[in-house]
Amino acid sequence: MIGFLHKRVLLPAAGVLIVLAIWEATVVFYKLPPIVLPSPWAVMATLAGLVGTYAFWRDVAVSLYEFVAGYAIGVVLGIAVGLLIGEWRLFRLTATPVVESLRFIVPFAWIPLTILWFGTSFTGKIVLVAYAVFFVMVVSTARAIAHVEPTLTRVGTMLGMGPWRLALRVHLRAAAPTLASAARAAAAIGWIAVVAAEYIGASAGLGLMITNAATSLATAVVIAGMIVIGLIGAGVSALIGWLARRRFDDR
Amino acid sequence: MAVAEAGATPDRAPWLGPRASVWLLGFVGALLALVAWTLLSQWLATGGGVINRLPPPTKVARELWRYATGDLWRDLAFSLRVFVIGWLVGAASATVCGLLLGRVAWAGRVFLPVVEAIRPVSSIAWVPLSVVWFGFGLTSKVFLVALAVFLVVIVYAVDGSRRVPSDLARTATMLGMNGWQRFRSLILPGTLTEVLIGSRVALMAGWGTVIVAELVAADSGLGAHLIAVQQSYDVPAVMATMACFGIAGFLMNALFSTLERRLVPWRHDSADVAQ
Repeated sequence: MIGFLHKRVLLPAAGVLIVLAIWEATVVFYKLPPIVLPSPWAVMATLAGLVGTYAFWRDVAVSLYEFVAGYAIGVVLGIAVGLLIGEWRLFRLTATPVVESLRFIVPFAWIPLTILWFGTSFTGKIVLVAYAVFFVMVVSTARAIAHVEPTLTRVGTMLGMGPWRLALRVHLRAAAPTLASAARAAAAIGWIAVVAAEYIGASAGLGLMITNAATSLATAVVIAGMIVIGLIGAGVSALIGWLARRRFDDR
Repeated sequence: MAVAEAGATPDRAPWLGPRASVWLLGFVGALLALVAWTLLSQWLATGGGVINRLPPPTKVARELWRYATGDLWRDLAFSLRVFVIGWLVGAASATVCGLLLGRVAWAGRVFLPVVEAIRPVSSIAWVPLSVVWFGFGLTSKVFLVALAVFLVVIVYAVDGSRRVPSDLARTATMLGMNGWQRFRSLILPGTLTEVLIGSRVALMAGWGTVIVAELVAADSGLGAHLIAVQQSYDVPAVMATMACFGIAGFLMNALFSTLERRLVPWRHDSADVAQ
């Protein structure tokens, strides 16, 4: 118990404290103005102040809404197309060159085009997140389906399952744990795509909040915003991990 | 076992010969996509939907050709310079830190949680802060790319420095190796192997960071060009520049995959976990 406390709580806490102390000492020693680097206390005070404002929660809500809508669309479409690619050879061979060439255009490169097409509205970000998530899911679903234990397919065939039931009842379920970890990776990419899109053209959102703060040299707000972005990203990832564990732990 | 293998052979026999059918169908798929794109652009141009700016593929191809015979190489050189410098700095510092945190037990316990706390804050979220700190020039973008690569590679470096096969460790003890010899011939090669794989995985994260950094701090490079043509509402040029990003990303990935297959053939297959 003491050893556990020591290793898991005290030493990590010491690490965080050391980093904060170095940060604070740098600010004090070099007399850095808060524009360059505010002290950790100033950042925490700013964060506490932000949490009490309406504008902050509106930005959080806008970013989360864009993320959740795009993520849901991207995951569903991605699994569906990935399943088709995995199951249907003709479709796999025709679709592969198109999927492979679009896959290498990273979502961030789409940001200017989504702004031309959809303006600074939510739609543009939703499309962008869906695109980012879609390709992660397509590639991992197709790969997971291709690696399903062949015995399962033969058992299904023996039980008289047709290709549709085999795909949905056997292959998709066998691939589910892999899909869960892909969904987690996709969430990280999708979340950061929202933030990046909001840097370049948005009317609200956390990305806009921190670029505006950077333009007005409110560095404490920038760092506080980064912390919030990191916390939400980690929270979303933990939530998906938790859901997946609850669902698949019995295997 | 023999039964399982017999059953695992491809169940559907290709009707053209495997190679030819792959190429032919792939070609048909690409052609279908281009036809669909052309039809869609014509339908949208006559007032079909919300998007009224979708140029046909021929127009984008013409724009791509014009860019490729003009400023592309200058812009690409800018972006690649940022990318390569940042990538080398990030991978090198991650190797050093990874060895320290992986091999020195107390340092790992104290500072790895700090690294883990920073990792969820993607390098993209650092863009505005980096602009405040380093301005719009090269330094700011190199910092961001280095950070992106560091945050990926550090995990691989720590892992590699810890994973010394026990039979090799026993052999080393038997041969009476001292600390430095063990480090040089046992720990360092294992770490560098993992660092190489991590650097491949970090490729796309680093390249994506270059794009965002250049879009935000647009003074030079492919990203700056993309913003410039976007602001003049030149959709064909926007799409041509996106294609350049895709081609460059693809070539880098192919180059590094080949390199990895040559240098660490035994680790190649398991490398695709984190995209």
